[in-house]
Amino acid sequence: MTDTTPWTIDEIAAYAARYGLTRLEPAHLERMREIADKVALASAAIPRMPRKSDEPAPVFRVPLT
Amino acid sequence: MKAMPKLAPAAPELVHLTITEASRLIAARRLSPVELVEAFLARIAATEDRLHAYITVLGDEALAAARQAEADIAAGRYKGPLHGIPFAVKDNYHVVGVRTTGASRLMLDYVADETATAIERLTAAGAILLGKLNTWEYGTGTGEIHDDLPFPLARNPWNTDRFTGGSSTGAGVAVAAGSAMFALGSDTGGSVRLPAAAAGVQGMKATYGVVSRAGILPNCWSLDVAGPLTWTCEDNALVLRTIAGHDPRDPGSADRLVPDYLQGIGAGIAGMVIGVIRDLGPDAPSMQPDTRANLEAMEAVLEDLGARLVEISLPAPLSGYRQIVGAINWGESYSIHERDFLERADLMGKALRDKMTAGFTMRAVDYIAAQRRRRELAQSTDAVLSACDAVLAPCTFLTAPTFDDQETLTKFTFGAATSIFNATGHPALSICNGFDADGMPTSAQIVGRWFDEATVYRVARAYEAATPWRAERPVL
Repeated sequence: MTDTTPWTIDEIAAYAARYGLTRLEPAHLERMREIADKVALASAAIPRMPRKSDEPAPVFRVPLT
Repeated sequence: MKAMPKLAPAAPELVHLTITEASRLIAARRLSPVELVEAFLARIAATEDRLHAYITVLGDEALAAARQAEADIAAGRYKGPLHGIPFAVKDNYHVVGVRTTGASRLMLDYVADETATAIERLTAAGAILLGKLNTWEYGTGTGEIHDDLPFPLARNPWNTDRFTGGSSTGAGVAVAAGSAMFALGSDTGGSVRLPAAAAGVQGMKATYGVVSRAGILPNCWSLDVAGPLTWTCEDNALVLRTIAGHDPRDPGSADRLVPDYLQGIGAGIAGMVIGVIRDLGPDAPSMQPDTRANLEAMEAVLEDLGARLVEISLPAPLSGYRQIVGAINWGESYSIHERDFLERADLMGKALRDKMTAGFTMRAVDYIAAQRRRRELAQSTDAVLSACDAVLAPCTFLTAPTFDDQETLTKFTFGAATSIFNATGHPALSICNGFDADGMPTSAQIVGRWFDEATVYRVARAYEAATPWRAERPVL
């Protein structure tokens, strides 16, 4: 279901620029590419809950203060 | 900003008192809060060049508060067992009018306009704030040492070549070294319990929601827990009793009555059922032989005290909890620091910048999947834990390594069994259970049912009273 094909440096540069990071040093861009691959793998390893009714923790509570 | 009055050398007999011992002397007017605070400020002055536990020392303010405490007690206005007791807090707790740095270049000039609820409760009880303690940047790190923050690395008082654990680095150091009688830290994946383990002190991560986080820099809203580090379990219970309780300023605060954790703390553990977690899955780190031996010896002590030990298994391996905590932390922490990452990432240390980079590349659906899985894991873990009165689990798998061994530093931090109970929200106390061949402290966790910190303390107190580890202090 999840595509864990490694990011290319051009893809990560385009992604960074799209979301506001336009002045990254080449070293940070390369680090981002490495981390993005790790995040994709780690995220793909999170088990998906089998039922649609399995909610996340109730972090929204009322009444609001 | 290390304002230090000139003082005589520290009196070791005073800085190594427990809170319980000192408060008895203060209540009986045999110890002056001024004398006590002066002893701690002298200890700080004598050790800081080696330990770097503090970022800010509030010497003049602490002495003024001590004089006020002395006058109040002399006038018959004794407030209770924390009156006149000196403490310090991780530098992510706000105090109005005082700089909060979070050990970050992003906040070097930030002066707080509020005070953390936990500090307000302690000072209302008469405790005296000595200063703000060293930390990893915004409580962030995997254990790797980059030494790229604006303050020097805190050093372990048992051996200054050794790691302190983090992220509440200065808190464990200060309590072990006698430069604070107790300290407050914060724990997202182990940041109270790991520095406690490295320094041989007792550190409590209470049930999620028991301690208000209002006035504390957030790291990860749905995992952060504020908590005390102390020399003894009884002291820890006393501090937690004071800071616990509902706070409308914190949306995650639990609206429950706070029990008296000290009531029954000395009742022993005969007849209790204590679950033992020995196997954390195939990808858990291998345990250092001395750490394993001390954990097994701890089991024997608990059995000798009359508890019935039963081996239990968690519903997922350690890595299953760690991946959940990591993903939630990436997402929430990035949400907190997005603007700084986009505009000032160059001011961040590598550990924080890496975490922000992870959050930047993460998908929303993966964060939500982690929260859904977390809820399921918390429920299935609770089903296992709640069959026991308390649970004994590993804490770190090795003692604090030297600063130059990056692989082992990461294993100490990232490989620890602490994040399990951030994911599930259960209370977990890191307790010293001996020393390795090099004289470095080993540790274990005592874990309880949700909101049953009282039983955790009861087990810890029984173990502590039956073993000699509290008689050992680092020599500085």
